[in-house]
Amino acid sequence: MAKLPSTQEELSRRFGPHLNYNPPAGWQRDADKRGDQLVKTHCCFCGQQCGIQLKVRDNRVTGFEPWEEFPFNRGMLCPKGVKRYLQGNHPDRLMDPLMRTADGFRAATWDEALDFTARRLRELQEQYGPDSVAVYGGASLTTEKSYLMGKFARVALKTRHIDYNGRLCMVSAGTAYKAALGVDRAPNPWNDIMQAEVLMAIGANVGECAPITTDYIWRARDKGAKLIVADPRFTPIARNADLYLPVRPGTDLALLMAMLHVIIRDGLTDREFIDAHTTGFEKTAESVEPWNPRRAADVTGVAPEAIEKAAHWIGESRKAMLMHARGLEHHSKGVENCEAVVAIALATGNIGREGAGPIMITGQGNGQGGREHGQKCDQLPGQRSLTDPAARAHVAGVWGISPDELPGPGYTAVEIMNAIHAGEIKGLLSICFNPLVSLPDANFTREALEKLEFFGVIDFFLSETAAHADVVLAGSLQEEEEGVTANVEARVIHIKKAVDPPGNARRDSEIICDLARRLGRGQYFPFTEPREIFEELRLASRGGIADYYGITYEKIDQNMGVFWPCPTLDHPGTPRLFEGGRFFHPDGRARFMRLAWRDSGDPVDAGFPVYLTTGRVVSQYLSGVQTRRIGALVDQNPEPKVEIHPRLAEQHKINTGDWVTVTSRRGAITLQAMVVRTIRPDTVFIPYHWPGGRSANRLTHRTLDPRSKIPEYKVSACRIEKAAGPGGRW
Amino acid sequence: MFGREFYVDPSRCIGCQSCLKACEECDTHRGISMINFDFVDRRESIATAAYVCWHCDEPTCAQVCPADAIKKYDDGIVGSSLKPRCIGCSNCVLACPFGIPKLVPEYEQMMKCDMCYDRTSVGKKPMCATVCPSQALTYVTPETIAATRREKPVNTFWFGNQKITTKVYMMAPADAGEIAIDVADYTWEGENELVPQAF
Amino acid sequence: MSWFRKPSSTPLWRDEFPVHTADERYVNRRQFTKFLTLTSFGMLVGNVWILAKSALHRAPNYPRMPVAAADEIAVGGVKIFGYPTPGDPCILVRTGYDSYAAYSQKCTHLSCAVYYEKERSRLECPCHLGFFSITDGSVLQGPPQRALPRVALERQGGQLIAVRMEGESA
Repeated sequence: MAKLPSTQEELSRRFGPHLNYNPPAGWQRDADKRGDQLVKTHCCFCGQQCGIQLKVRDNRVTGFEPWEEFPFNRGMLCPKGVKRYLQGNHPDRLMDPLMRTADGFRAATWDEALDFTARRLRELQEQYGPDSVAVYGGASLTTEKSYLMGKFARVALKTRHIDYNGRLCMVSAGTAYKAALGVDRAPNPWNDIMQAEVLMAIGANVGECAPITTDYIWRARDKGAKLIVADPRFTPIARNADLYLPVRPGTDLALLMAMLHVIIRDGLTDREFIDAHTTGFEKTAESVEPWNPRRAADVTGVAPEAIEKAAHWIGESRKAMLMHARGLEHHSKGVENCEAVVAIALATGNIGREGAGPIMITGQGNGQGGREHGQKCDQLPGQRSLTDPAARAHVAGVWGISPDELPGPGYTAVEIMNAIHAGEIKGLLSICFNPLVSLPDANFTREALEKLEFFGVIDFFLSETAAHADVVLAGSLQEEEEGVTANVEARVIHIKKAVDPPGNARRDSEIICDLARRLGRGQYFPFTEPREIFEELRLASRGGIADYYGITYEKIDQNMGVFWPCPTLDHPGTPRLFEGGRFFHPDGRARFMRLAWRDSGDPVDAGFPVYLTTGRVVSQYLSGVQTRRIGALVDQNPEPKVEIHPRLAEQHKINTGDWVTVTSRRGAITLQAMVVRTIRPDTVFIPYHWPGGRSANRLTHRTLDPRSKIPEYKVSACRIEKAAGPGGRW
Repeated sequence: MFGREFYVDPSRCIGCQSCLKACEECDTHRGISMINFDFVDRRESIATAAYVCWHCDEPTCAQVCPADAIKKYDDGIVGSSLKPRCIGCSNCVLACPFGIPKLVPEYEQMMKCDMCYDRTSVGKKPMCATVCPSQALTYVTPETIAATRREKPVNTFWFGNQKITTKVYMMAPADAGEIAIDVADYTWEGENELVPQAF
Repeated sequence: MSWFRKPSSTPLWRDEFPVHTADERYVNRRQFTKFLTLTSFGMLVGNVWILAKSALHRAPNYPRMPVAAADEIAVGGVKIFGYPTPGDPCILVRTGYDSYAAYSQKCTHLSCAVYYEKERSRLECPCHLGFFSITDGSVLQGPPQRALPRVALERQGGQLIAVRMEGESA
């Protein structure tokens, strides 16, 4: 049973979050610091994967030092990367596996915890069938572990339900790029940004969510590039925008279609490119024909002249780049939105060259690598399709099983939670995922978790979700296990092991392999080191789209990373895709798609007249399991605030600091207001990193994009009213 | 030092506060940041600015210090207060036109940015300029600034009648000469008035 | 102190407590302490050197050197010779028919050459009237503080052989 075993207060008191402020040995004098080792590795947080050196002494990470030689970030770091090391040596760290008791958790041995887990999973499968258990993975895992999770679900557990938290992140962009271009990857290396003449950032709060990319944009501007920012909020990079488009939440598609409309209308298309390298242009042209700027202005709240201007700047440039992130993708039209961006790039010939192309900004640390090698419900290693017979044959061959033993596609992440709620899925094993905070409609998620007959979690802190578990397996931080990740540019980079897991905590890969052994499938999981997993991954991905065969740890170290595809050992890697207009579909051509407008899944009406959009703050990462335990980061943004425009605030007599209850069709939370002019007057914004009574996801809804199955976080309907005081913490 | 200078461009600042976090990691500061960071007016704008000590050529803080605790070294860096000498009187806190020095009550001592002297004196970059993701704080050679930026570095400021030249440069629009803060510095008040220095 | 300053508009205290470290004239505590330590150390080294020299000093090996024939000089007569090296003047006195005495000729006061005063049977230094006993070289009067080093003699057949110095400080 997955109800909480104790009260929230008691669980918090015991397991945190508590705030860690100081280095493990306190502040040192210079003389004390001799003997510090510096480990060159990468940040554990977002997809920028900044190079950083961790100071290590006596098996503890004691601080950081910039790594100026790593070319992507050249020593630069955001506040999370600077303070990251304080997640180690933390009072809340799980040192032992935990087993649930009547009123809490107790420490257990590994044998007990793992045997229990294996036994319960098998029991459920025997009783209800193999697909009655599901596996959740995550995109902050190294690529080795992402690969391992996919193999574990299919070969050890033989369930078809394996999906990951990247389902909440990159799948809209991934589906769109796959459909249009044949591959799910940012096409250009980041250095190309500095060569662009026109940059458009749509739904991308670069300054707070991908801070290191800011310098690339500023350098482009130093050379005279123009910056267009499309966002319902005036984000930090918008302060230097040459054109700011305050697009109404949920209406990006109208804006993009209108831009395409203008590009076509005014003859700004690159007909030569379209004819030589693409198919299906007529479909898109037909789709956008009715979307003139005036119509789009009515829908988006962006002036027609601004739309014309944006379209012309891009259409007239030979070096235009369009950056997008979750603001564009967290929609029930997320795939269409991204297809529209790609269509603009294709229509103007702005792709496959230096300074030209669409750019998806991957959010999570290994969002790229973690979505390539089988951790997705329909995917096999190498970014292959689970339903492709050739792919199944190849991977089954590497794994030493018959292709028939491979299950078919399963549910996506939100669908898995829906199935748990419906009683269809009875057991869940989860790693690198905190769905109680990160999935939409948190009340629904909590109800679903409480119905699980078995819930096992691998984690290093007791997250809000893990508090519902029957067994918590004490896993490892990123600095405690070697591996590779792929950054936003699909540069495969080396994560070094800096310290050993403390106490009785174990490396994640050891836990998975041990579990597989206890499930009787140990012969398929003989790995003792991540390097061995990587060797198998190279083989499994060989010949696939995301071909890692030519990549080794040493090659990565020598070259500061290797861009995939890298099919052979002497291949240098592929920084830029689509050069010469060669795309990844069998005919080598990119595809234009039909774009169809539809409304968002949670429309505003009289009862819920305000748009709610959710997002992030620069000091917190995802569901905050790590960053809400680091003192300095919490101090930077101690509580979530609801951003309200003065015009809207005035209607409700709200001032900055007043408590405001925000109610949606799913629930209500009460937060303090931040009255600012930097947001649309019809919209409020809440950052989502907090749980319980401060959780933005108590308000969001479970409408999914029909193709990518991404939740529509970026637009919901709500109403606001002034409250007497704070709401309940839980 | 070593040919490089410090340049501050508040227009590039994205308010991430990475500079504060990195600065406070220094074992000399022990968790206290020496960066002066502001939300200029958060209600109206997301504009933010982060400043370091300007390391003035004639540092006002040093000149008003009764304990001779603030020194300017040969390479132009103005040190933080000397621990054995500072008496925590706050003269410097009040006198600095940029508002940089801070009195830290638990140590009864003034602390301010010393441009990471332990790093810059051996050729490394100051920590804040190394980590700043927007390079609003940057530490490069004058040639690099001239070659890459459209803004121009300015290091002359007027505060009333006090002209201050600094080691740290402020990036300003290309035709700005000197920087005056007070409107009164721009006014002309009749015949025989000296031309306002702000132009 | 102000009387030897050139006239200046800046007040004295500004000069004496300059902001720029390059302008500092006064030695600071650290510099001064360093100086003291260095000097003290220097003196230590010097003293240790002297001590070492003294501890390591060995009595020199004295040669056997024939000085004179037994009957070469008359009773009461002297012969000057160099022992142990030609640069070390010594004086041989035949004090009786069969008795001889030899001493370093360098007065232990200021190294003047002593002579034999037969009438008074003593060695006398003309410089400051320092007198030495002929029997054992001890000081009889005058400024010398130390006895004259004695040359030990051996009679070998008709020869007088100097064999070593006695009572010589290292």
